[in-house]
Amino acid sequence: MTLFSLGLVRGIIGQVIAFLAGMALVVVIRALMGLPAWAAEPAWVVGGLVSIVGFLVGVGALSDWLKWIRGEETPLRHGPPEGKPAWVRYFEVDYNHKVIGVQYTVWGLFLLMTGGFFALAFRTELVQAGIQFLGYDLFNSFIGLHGIVMIAAILLGVGGMANYLVPLMIGAEDMAFPRLNALGFWINVPGTLLILLSLVVGGWDAGWTGYPPLSARGPIGYQLFFLGVYAVGLSSIVGSINLIVTTLRMRSKGMSLFRMPIFVWAVFATSLIQLTATQLIGLSFLMVLVERVLGMGFFDPGVAGPGQQLMEGGGDPLLFQHLFWFYSHPAVYIFILPGLGIISELLPVFARKPLFGYKWIAMSSLAIALVGFLVWAHHMFVSGMNPDLRIPFMFSTLLVAVPTGVKFFSWVGTLWGGKLHFPTPMLFVLGAISVFLIGGLTGPMLATVTTDIPLHDTYFVVGHFHATMFGGFVFPFFAALYYWYPKVTGRMYNETLGKIHFWIMTPAFWVQTLGQMTTGMMGMRRRIADYDPTLGAGNIEAVHLVITLAGFAIALGVVLMVYNFIQSAEVGARAGVNPWRSRSPEWQIPSPVPEHSFPSPLRVVGEPYDYGRPGAYVALGAAGDD
Amino acid sequence: MRGHYRTGILVLIALAVLTGIEYVIAVSFPSTALLFLVAIMKAALVLYYFMHVTSLWSEEGGH
Amino acid sequence: MSAVAAHADVEAHVAEADYQERTRRNRLGLWLFFVSELFMFGGLLVARFYLWRENGEIVRPELDQNLGLIITSILLLSSYFMNRAEVAIAHNDRTNFLVSLLITAALGTVFLVGVVVFEWGAHLRPWDGVFGAVLFGMTGMHALHVLSGIILILNVWWLGTKGHFSAEEHWGVEACAIYWHYVDLIWIFFYPALYLIGRAVPA
Repeated sequence: MTLFSLGLVRGIIGQVIAFLAGMALVVVIRALMGLPAWAAEPAWVVGGLVSIVGFLVGVGALSDWLKWIRGEETPLRHGPPEGKPAWVRYFEVDYNHKVIGVQYTVWGLFLLMTGGFFALAFRTELVQAGIQFLGYDLFNSFIGLHGIVMIAAILLGVGGMANYLVPLMIGAEDMAFPRLNALGFWINVPGTLLILLSLVVGGWDAGWTGYPPLSARGPIGYQLFFLGVYAVGLSSIVGSINLIVTTLRMRSKGMSLFRMPIFVWAVFATSLIQLTATQLIGLSFLMVLVERVLGMGFFDPGVAGPGQQLMEGGGDPLLFQHLFWFYSHPAVYIFILPGLGIISELLPVFARKPLFGYKWIAMSSLAIALVGFLVWAHHMFVSGMNPDLRIPFMFSTLLVAVPTGVKFFSWVGTLWGGKLHFPTPMLFVLGAISVFLIGGLTGPMLATVTTDIPLHDTYFVVGHFHATMFGGFVFPFFAALYYWYPKVTGRMYNETLGKIHFWIMTPAFWVQTLGQMTTGMMGMRRRIADYDPTLGAGNIEAVHLVITLAGFAIALGVVLMVYNFIQSAEVGARAGVNPWRSRSPEWQIPSPVPEHSFPSPLRVVGEPYDYGRPGAYVALGAAGDD
Repeated sequence: MRGHYRTGILVLIALAVLTGIEYVIAVSFPSTALLFLVAIMKAALVLYYFMHVTSLWSEEGGH
Repeated sequence: MSAVAAHADVEAHVAEADYQERTRRNRLGLWLFFVSELFMFGGLLVARFYLWRENGEIVRPELDQNLGLIITSILLLSSYFMNRAEVAIAHNDRTNFLVSLLITAALGTVFLVGVVVFEWGAHLRPWDGVFGAVLFGMTGMHALHVLSGIILILNVWWLGTKGHFSAEEHWGVEACAIYWHYVDLIWIFFYPALYLIGRAVPA
């Protein structure tokens, strides 16, 4: 086995070759049209676009479909690749959902740390007023990269949990479309590489929202950012198609919709948003892309061709904000709904009690998803849009608190009177609830027009947002990693290290988010490289120092976790089938899960969360066997 | 044999007539709502007869 | 249960679902893709009604009405022939199936030429303000789908000549057909939005 037989390496080579080929194509076409042959922007755009396909061809994600075009049958291959070590399959196109789930999760963790690195860099810059080591442009590129790389990381983490768990939880052999599933993961890799590559062509300085007119004029880095987001968005769409079809058509016998594990409901609601809203961020970025390359003035009020009278207003940057937020607000529900599902999934296991109000939780996920489509313009209260629109959007935004409140009451109801156990996953679940509470309670202040107007674009928003993301995704994601780690690897993680991680990260995060809100109240604006050191009666630099130290503490916690996972895979104690005494289907089969997850068909024989009561949720084998 | 194709031809005629109506509306008494209504009618015909939208939930039709 | 029987049980359990079930899954997946795309095309329509306005009144650029009517009719006609191909294969009428597919692809190509050569070749250019931007954005995105549809149809035709597809198993044909109808469906809304709705303004 050589390096080149590794799918990931072939993919990257394919991407580089296709990049150059795409650039060459532009040069040839321009030369034929009689234009100057080299123009940097079109060359980078076409090169970037073709490079995504080049990667997919190189890694082999399209091979089966290319055979279908020729009418050849391609039976699904099971097991690790022949003649290669078993670990190689994680770096190759593999159709098993458990492998794809791990690929998603690991790439997601890698991006999480990359995004964290950007954050640490510009947080360090912010410790003192003035510019110390990052220039203005680099600072701005870093905040944008921190945002979009983290978003990609979260989408990948969500994809990892959903891909690994949903088929196991509903008793399906695999996902509905295994090839599409593999494509859904692999297209993320060239996409995220393009986003990182944007740094070498000038970066992009508008923050991850990429608002025109700035994004329509800045360096070429914007174009690679747009293309990268396009690829990651495509992954969301094909992934959601796969998850919806799997959930609707592949449940095992007796697994009615209201007997599914609650996490499956959360993923289903998430998939509905991903399926539909993602198109709008793709479209809005594509419109800026063509505005830059072809001069199509969607968002430029000043574009008028020869002999063309300027229309009233012409293009309109506000249109971008409407299209963009139509995805990007529901997107935060894509990030948090699976995490809230994890909280609801784990609490009954560690409280040894039924989940309080199962149907209400299931429906509240759907309700958040639906209401999420009606709130986008609350990001635009001060944008200059029609002021009369602010009131309905304020009400719809406040409405989100109702289904979210349902979840909180259910969690409290589940904990109440339970026999609580506190291993690391449970600690992270409780940490998630505390952090999400901070994020949730600061939401209405920003949803209300009167308080949002002074708070808009301050660090208060940054604090609120990070509390919702950590409470809704990061803490539950880490809980899920610790909780299912024994199922994936067959070994236990180091409990002491896990607890140290929790006790470093949770207080650090509280300090960080409350510190961010404090600087916001002092008058610190978001996305600003430099600030007035006299803000907050001269205390603002001290608060920034504390936030930065807290950020480094969080990073230390994450590094501890990764070390724990790598080390425990070698030396951890054997976990056994069901270390948490869970009733969920995935804990009734061996750890690690074999190639074909279920030795015999799964049957549902009871309610999903009847902990503390006799009986079972699921059984394996024919009805007569037990 | 010919009988199978009859539905398709009828739908085509209906679509052509609706397109004609659309054009007449646009030149004689332009109304956005009316034009959208005709478009929705055309879309319904295509969805039902050409795209067999009902096959999504009927238990028949796995070929 | 004997070991052999248990093993056979596992084999049957992990085997791929039968053709009918796979077709149902494929169909649902393709329709979900349509729903997804609907939001993208819907976004373009929103852009059209947001940007093509003067003093709050909906306007449109003056375009060649004859061209619009002709290409719309051609696309509708192609949709009919696509349906004919699908009905034909469902009744094992292979000649009609293959001929109808070719006619559909030919009509699709005529539509594409109508848009790319004649409409784009007329006076408006992509950089001509919002009229040019939205016109080229909408027709361009639609033309991209028409092009992929034509390639799909030709692929199905080629496989058909090699003896693939039957009355019992022709998901490939159905997928291609409903994709083509979907492209037509989008044009049903794009045609009035571009050519008919609003007061014509000299562009």
